[in-house]
Amino acid sequence: MRIQCTVNGKSVERDISPDLRLLDFIRETLQLTGTKEGCGEGECGACTVLLDGKAVNSCLVLAMQADGSVIITVEGLADGQALHPIQEAYVEVGAVQCGFCTPGFIMATYALLQDTPDPSEEEILAGLEGNLCRCTGYSKILDAVKLAARRMRESR
Amino acid sequence: MRYQRVINESELLDGLSQPGSLIVCGGTDVIVKMRAGMLQPTLLLDVTQIESLHGIQVDEGHLEIGAATLESDIMHSPLVNQHAPLLALVLRQLGSVQIRNRGTLAGNIVNASPAADGAIPLLLYEAEVQVVGPAQEQWVRLESFFTGPGKTTLSSGEFVRALRMPIGTDGFRTFFHKVGKRNALTIAIASLGLLLNIEQGAIQEIRIAVGSVAPTPRRLRKIESQLTGRALDAALPLEARDLITGAIAPISDIRATAAYRRNVIGDLFARALRSHLTQPL
Ligand SMILES: Cc1cc2nc3c(=O)[nH]c(=O)nc-3n(C[C@H](O)[C@H](O)[C@H](O)COP(=O)(O)OP(=O)(O)OC[C@H]3O[C@@H](n4cnc5c(N)ncnc54)[C@H](O)[C@@H]3O)c2cc1C
Ligand code: FES
Ligand code: FES
Repeated sequence: MRIQCTVNGKSVERDISPDLRLLDFIRETLQLTGTKEGCGEGECGACTVLLDGKAVNSCLVLAMQADGSVIITVEGLADGQALHPIQEAYVEVGAVQCGFCTPGFIMATYALLQDTPDPSEEEILAGLEGNLCRCTGYSKILDAVKLAARRMRESR
Repeated sequence: MRYQRVINESELLDGLSQPGSLIVCGGTDVIVKMRAGMLQPTLLLDVTQIESLHGIQVDEGHLEIGAATLESDIMHSPLVNQHAPLLALVLRQLGSVQIRNRGTLAGNIVNASPAADGAIPLLLYEAEVQVVGPAQEQWVRLESFFTGPGKTTLSSGEFVRALRMPIGTDGFRTFFHKVGKRNALTIAIASLGLLLNIEQGAIQEIRIAVGSVAPTPRRLRKIESQLTGRALDAALPLEARDLITGAIAPISDIRATAAYRRNVIGDLFARALRSHLTQPL
């Protein structure tokens, strides 16, 4: 089947199998391997991307369901060589250890801050409830989100 | 397998008349089950873009929610927060941000898990399901819609257009608690929801719904009538605990034993009543 969508600002068109997941379309068809597969069942959030502005688990969406949509993956955040403030904050506070969960966390953070530029701690926890990290113990991730939120507000 | 994005109800009815067809909406149940080999549709009908399945409105004394409306949109809707606050509260605990950005309440109901969280507030608000088939459409009470684990009265060829519930419980006190293995993304081992109308220290009206302790989520109407009119005094919570543990017959499975489930429901019920006891009436 023919799929057309916009990925990280570029229009793409491909022929794909109807049972392909959005996750496989992104990783295999488009070779954007920043998006990760953890559980494949909606539990870990490693595969989080923005679909028409909303954070979703790309392992639970068929690629064809995204036909005509606008998709942003972690590769779409940096501006050329300059990291996005969220990416910068994660690196700076040390919220990245093995890094496998990081793209998913960054996309969930991006969605959270787009709707809630000045989140309370409770709102951050709720915004990231769909993402699991096995390394950091989460407190550095919280710090990173707070730092990114502050910088993004200041640069507005 | 073929995939078709249907754009209106007549296309959907056409698609449903074909053998092996299956509706997919948010896909948070369907795609997991397809990958596990539990579902093998030959034609997947994506209903997410059908206009008439979207929207939240108040009409003729009912709060009505389109079948394809996202759980995240329902949770944030001012109309829902005003007329069915318990529904918004429960949705905040269903899945995660990512799940609610795809999942729908109608999908949760048709999936008919004994643990379906969305069913608890809907049962308490006396919701009805709008079932549409090739020949007719009708509103079916949610209580009679569920027939067993994963089973509903929906027949092949039919779909759900909307859910609705009568408004008029503004000011009722609410309670919902589910017990699971972690906070987010938890499938309930046992869950309890209540709507309570207390006047002058007495229970004017109480509605009780439980999940994961019966083949379907269900109301406990007998206890509701036993408790109606009762003074909310210090003796009530423990008495109510015994009533409710006697009224449910949960099973043991890989997630918990029957005895554990019974205790949890009893404790939750006592706790809920106690918390309303200590609130100024
Ligand atoms: C990680 C994870 C966590 C979850 N956590 C919870 C939780 O905490 N609590 C909970 O209750 N559930 C939970 N779920 C289950 C799931 O998210 C819900 O049941 C969801 O509401 C289903 O909606 P959907 O639109 O995704 O349904 P789909 O998967 O698209 O469909 C589900 C069923 O409904 C049918 N269907 C859908 N729309 C219609 C319609 N309009 N007419 C007729 N049939 C229709 C489909 O054919 C299918 O049988 C979780 C799932 C995952 C993957
Ligand atoms: S891989 Fe999609 S949520 Fe885990
Ligand atoms: S950094 Fe390793 S899983 Fe999060």
